[in-house]
Amino acid sequence: MAELQLHSVGKRFGDTVALRPTSLEVEKGEFVTVLGPSGCGKSTLLRILMGITEASSGEIVLNGRRIEALPPDKRDIAMVFQSYALFPHMSVRKNLAFGLEMRKVPKDEQRRRLDHALQICNLAAYVDRMPRQLSGGQQQRVALARAIVMQPSLMLLDEPLSNLDAKLRDSLRHDLVALHRQTGSTSLYVTHDQAEAMAMSDRIVVMNGGEVVEIGTPVSLYRNPRHVFTASFLGQTNLMPVEAGNRQARLPWGDVVPLESNHRGAAVVSLRPENLALTPDAAGHGEITAVSFMGAQANYVVRIADFNLKASRSGGEALLEIGARVAVSVTGPVSLLAETPALGRAA
Amino acid sequence: MIGLHRRPRLELMLLLLPGAGFLAALFGFPLLTALLGSFGLVGDDPALTLKFYARIFTSTVLLRSLATSLYYGVVPVAVTVVLAIVLALALRRHFAGRKLFNGLYKIPLKLPKMVRDPWGIGVIAATTWKQLPFMTLVITGAFAAIPEDIRHAARTLGAGPIRAFLRIELPLALPGITAAVLLTFIGSMGSFAIPDLVGAPNPLPLSVRMVRAFAEGDMSQVFAIGMVLSAFAFAVLIGYYALTSRVGTAKGDSR
Repeated sequence: MAELQLHSVGKRFGDTVALRPTSLEVEKGEFVTVLGPSGCGKSTLLRILMGITEASSGEIVLNGRRIEALPPDKRDIAMVFQSYALFPHMSVRKNLAFGLEMRKVPKDEQRRRLDHALQICNLAAYVDRMPRQLSGGQQQRVALARAIVMQPSLMLLDEPLSNLDAKLRDSLRHDLVALHRQTGSTSLYVTHDQAEAMAMSDRIVVMNGGEVVEIGTPVSLYRNPRHVFTASFLGQTNLMPVEAGNRQARLPWGDVVPLESNHRGAAVVSLRPENLALTPDAAGHGEITAVSFMGAQANYVVRIADFNLKASRSGGEALLEIGARVAVSVTGPVSLLAETPALGRAA
Repeated sequence: MIGLHRRPRLELMLLLLPGAGFLAALFGFPLLTALLGSFGLVGDDPALTLKFYARIFTSTVLLRSLATSLYYGVVPVAVTVVLAIVLALALRRHFAGRKLFNGLYKIPLKLPKMVRDPWGIGVIAATTWKQLPFMTLVITGAFAAIPEDIRHAARTLGAGPIRAFLRIELPLALPGITAAVLLTFIGSMGSFAIPDLVGAPNPLPLSVRMVRAFAEGDMSQVFAIGMVLSAFAFAVLIGYYALTSRVGTAKGDSR
């Protein structure tokens, strides 16, 4: 049985729906990311799990126990906050010991867990510092360690990296993944950063407009998205209107590509920039209108049949120049997308 | 830039004059006069003497007045601070404090029964009534300044509402509470109107004795009482600081 189960958990404030009834399962030891733009309902979901906001409907089962009616202190869930939320009047050691004291963990067990957390979070040198004497990255590691010592059934992480600068965020992201592997904690990670979600998760729960759009592994969601929102929120893509039929789709510039679906009629497909091959060709339909060289890759905008297509090539190849004519061919899989929900907002 | 800084000292003095000068003229000068006067150095026939202080510390009546002053100073503040914390917390919860507010409105109505009682309940109630809004305002602000996440962190780490309050919120709100206590205590210890109106006729607090002495024209005695009153107010505040800072460190506070 899954460690965490949500059955139709929803929240409404009067007439406003903050979270449509959502069902979700997280396996023991799994690292699941809830990904979505602000206002998508992920924070509401988080607050319901923490026990700060009461769900309007549904059941939550954690480790075989119904918890939706329990107060936060009785839930066996540890939380890592975006703001770190360290206790400013306590040293690092006291911050880490606080939860263990509250849960009446025996003293020697406390010391064992504390030493372990200090070591794996690389904080041993800072035990007697006050939070204000630490850098942002160090503070976030303390916040992590404070959650790890609890050995909770569920670890909730609310955008823990978003207050850090880019370089630190990268290194802490790796630390987080390594820590998760080491502790084996069941984790639910909430973020609006798709790169973070892709890099860290076993599975991603994509949310938009107060509901779950799609759930899947990073690879399957990226390569075979089923919704317009997923395709456009995860990485770069070109959303193209097509005419479908006979397991084929006709692209706006006349090319025909195979489809896995037998949908007939007008539809939308997602073409990833790296799945478009550009070949210099004086008779090609496309024209390069913008080039940006990123190092590992070069990004192009190609004008074709009144569309501006994003395409990318390896940075090692010769650069194409603005104004060059190119032939465009599709080299990767093409996914047919359901337009619901929220095509307008996504595209 | 150099031109601007050519005479920094003079400019600084001029800039400080309105504030510092005001304090010096209206606060410092009278204080100095009172200090000198309490030693008999002000008046028609100045001569250094300690007799006005001796009179306070040898007269049982005045010593009891001093005790009464301390009582009227400390107890209302203690009562107020507890009530204000309760109110501040109640206000945070969907204005559940409404019932309490209704009760508070009625305090003045009950006061006639408590006038001139030997325990000074009337004085304590009236002073509390007077101090409560200010105290509640400051303390509500102190609690509101604690980020919500910190409270939630304490709760998810297994602290129930009471322990989260005692271990996390109260220590973090303490600087604000201290400021409120400091400001109200100074007022309540020296307050004259309430003890004079509703306090027991005997013993009178020093503030009332001071006004009586003033009416009798015994200025040096007024000055000495004022000095003693100030000194004790100061001593109580020092004691309060010592107490709260120890409470803070006992809970890991290094403020």
